Amino acid sequence: MGFLVTTLIFLVVGIIASLCTRICCNRGPSANLLHLTLIITATVCCWMMWAIVYLSQMKPLIVPILNESE
Amino acid sequence: MGERGRGCCPPMDLMRSEPMQLLQLIIPVESAHLAVSYIGDLGLIQFKDLNAEKSPFQRTYAIQIKRCGEMARKLRFFRDQMSKVGLTPTARSATQAITSLDDLEVKLGDLEAELVEINANGEKLQRSYNELAEYKLVLQKAGEFFNSALSSAEAHHREYASNQGGESLETPLLSEQETFADPSKQVKLGFITGLVPRDKSMAFERILFRATRGNVFLKQATVDEPVIDPVSGEKVEKNVFVVFFSGERAKNKILKICEAFGANRYAFTEDLSKQSQMITEVSGRLSELQTTIDAGLVHRGNLLQAIGEQFEQWNLLVRKEKAIYHTLNMLSIDVTKKCLVAEGWSPVFATKEIQDALHRATLDSNSQVDSIFQVLHTREMPPTYFRTNKFTSAFQEIVDAYGVAKYQEANPGVFTIVTFPFLFAVMFGDWGHGICLLLATLYFIIREKKLSSQKLGDIMEMTFGGRYVIMLMALFSIYTGLIYNEFFSVPFELFAPSAYVCRDPACRDATTVGLIKARDTYPFGVDPAWHGTRSELPFLNSLKMKMSILLGVAQMNLGIILSYFNAQFFKNSLNTWFQFIPQMIFLNSLFGYLSVLIIIKWCTGSKADLYHVMIYMFLSPTDELGENELFPGQKTIQIVLLLLALVSVPWMLLPKPFLLKMQHDRHHGESYAPLPDAEESLQSEANHDSHGHEEFEFSEIFVHQLIHTIEFVLGAVSNTASYLRLWALSLAHSELSSVFYEKVLLLAWGYNNIIILIVGIIIFICATVGVLLVMETLSAFLHALRLHWVEFQNKFYEGDGYKFYPFSFALLDYEEE
Repeated sequence: MGFLVTTLIFLVVGIIASLCTRICCNRGPSANLLHLTLIITATVCCWMMWAIVYLSQMKPLIVPILNESE
Repeated sequence: MGERGRGCCPPMDLMRSEPMQLLQLIIPVESAHLAVSYIGDLGLIQFKDLNAEKSPFQRTYAIQIKRCGEMARKLRFFRDQMSKVGLTPTARSATQAITSLDDLEVKLGDLEAELVEINANGEKLQRSYNELAEYKLVLQKAGEFFNSALSSAEAHHREYASNQGGESLETPLLSEQETFADPSKQVKLGFITGLVPRDKSMAFERILFRATRGNVFLKQATVDEPVIDPVSGEKVEKNVFVVFFSGERAKNKILKICEAFGANRYAFTEDLSKQSQMITEVSGRLSELQTTIDAGLVHRGNLLQAIGEQFEQWNLLVRKEKAIYHTLNMLSIDVTKKCLVAEGWSPVFATKEIQDALHRATLDSNSQVDSIFQVLHTREMPPTYFRTNKFTSAFQEIVDAYGVAKYQEANPGVFTIVTFPFLFAVMFGDWGHGICLLLATLYFIIREKKLSSQKLGDIMEMTFGGRYVIMLMALFSIYTGLIYNEFFSVPFELFAPSAYVCRDPACRDATTVGLIKARDTYPFGVDPAWHGTRSELPFLNSLKMKMSILLGVAQMNLGIILSYFNAQFFKNSLNTWFQFIPQMIFLNSLFGYLSVLIIIKWCTGSKADLYHVMIYMFLSPTDELGENELFPGQKTIQIVLLLLALVSVPWMLLPKPFLLKMQHDRHHGESYAPLPDAEESLQSEANHDSHGHEEFEFSEIFVHQLIHTIEFVLGAVSNTASYLRLWALSLAHSELSSVFYEKVLLLAWGYNNIIILIVGIIIFICATVGVLLVMETLSAFLHALRLHWVEFQNKFYEGDGYKFYPFSFALLDYEEE
């Protein structure tokens, strides 16, 4: 699974989550906007964390060196 | 004052505080009480004190408040009495009729008088009972003395009679000086009987001896059980004493000494038959008194029970009335004494509700005139009011703890709902611990209704109040735990096989040169091959430090963008052009560029040294980069960015003060100012002058801007470095976790002994809960909070508003507790 595919998966999950919130807690346009903002923020945070860890492992400069006992 | 921004940002809940308006209500006196009561039920107006200069005694309704205070005192008295008996007031029942204040006052007065009388009578009866009980003891013990004296006298007499022959009964007693003297002989011996406390008995004896020069005879007998002293009401150990004396002076001395020692005296007759009669009489009276006392207690118990059923309701009524009169005192009374004028802040959306409440009050009080509802225009800053629900209120409190938002500025609470648990989770990352935290908080959430009505201790109260915060923290921790691949510090190959394999099938080089990356990158999170290797820490440290910088730069950029939205909302184009833009340029040309370099280095796998690149960008920007070049044209771009950063500093500092001065001069130079509106607030007329022409001190503005610029420029470096605490705490957490796992659990497992294993498991659980789940949670909570309060909020938040605190009966409960 490449970088782009997983990014697309995050995007799709975010869209599905916002649709779900719109369906089950629809409380007027201002509240909906708040919920949307929260979902977008959460998606962006989670994606950033995943992307950072993934990118750092794509072309590693150091490799695991096992301990003697193992 | 800002008006709603057009178009670009549609209104979002919780982003800005509710629009407020200053109301003026003119209420006729007869409906004032009801009107304030209905407004208290609504809880949406914060009244201004229009009588601030008056002392509490000069206010209109001071007498009413005193009455309420009296009633509250009586209710407190009842509560004391009830708790002495062990009753607790029953919960409020809605079925009882609500009495008026006057009726309640009379009723409370009657009840208090009755209760006081019952108490007084009870005390009196109890005292008589105790005295009689003591008297009975005296009768018994002293009777024993005389009986034993008599019997020994008889014995002596018989002996003597056998020796000598018929003499009277009393003679041998007289001739033997050491034996007991018969008190009925004509040597005028008197005696006093009574009880003296045991700890004073020695001193009592000594002083009697000294005072009468040894001419008394004292006999004491201890009483086995402690006796209730009639005067003090406590149980005291006492001795029964009989003291024989001769003469009037000795008698007076002895009486005084008895008084001094608190020895109670009781009359005693020597006659045998009378003694037994007295004893039966006293016993009879004792049992009578006992029944009377019991009946009294039952009566009192019933009275207190009846009070207890209505207590909560009465309490609530008195508190409500007191609050209503306090509020009425804040209204100013019109000259004609026919109506009251009220001023207060209320949210705009509550207009209809308030008008309805006023109308209902007019109808219910049969008043002829309706209340007048007016909106005033003023330049004062309104209070800040956010409509939160049980989920968002905890986050809003976290933000408010640092400073309440200024009226209608952007509320960081919106983003805090997500970023705060997220940053916590970055520092906490372990999905095993996250699951434990989630289970603990789900317990609170499931039993929400029951726990919210109970009274919990301080710490439990705080934990319960923050249950939704902790739930989000736990959910994000599970996510970051999966990314860091730590389950109680153990990694798992959950998503795909590890990317690292041995260089050759025998794995000879595994401990010297290491593995190589042969498969695709591990798709979700840190590769499980890293755990326990020698190069784990260099890799993870590099990863986590860079992650902290990237997350920090992102959050700080969000803060600056929020300041742009504020500038748009308040139509402050100066702030947009001369604060927002140079700030963005400065932060991003330095630290945004660093973030881009980090990403490029990861994507290309270059061996460039980023420290070197950043430092020499400043020290010698024109030098050739050599092997530190990450992309072509890097040198030119670095020089451009450096120049942009240098230009943005005077851009932030200089233009704004001068432009503000020009603006002020333009306003000042106008020959006439607009007429003030007809409907001005009563209070603002007094201080109109001070608000109308604000002083403009150029030097002050310039210094303020200088401080702001220096703070931002230096803060850019220090705040970015401050985000490295995300790395530091996450490292600490994972190290602690792996120490507990390896050195406790695995060690205990290695012994192959069931007892050691159980002890090991217990120690592991205690250490995990105590250190990791409690201490680390608090620590990460604190640091995430600091990152929000300082590094995020100082980019845009002013936080110098005041909170909306309406007059509401629902809030009375919190006040009293």
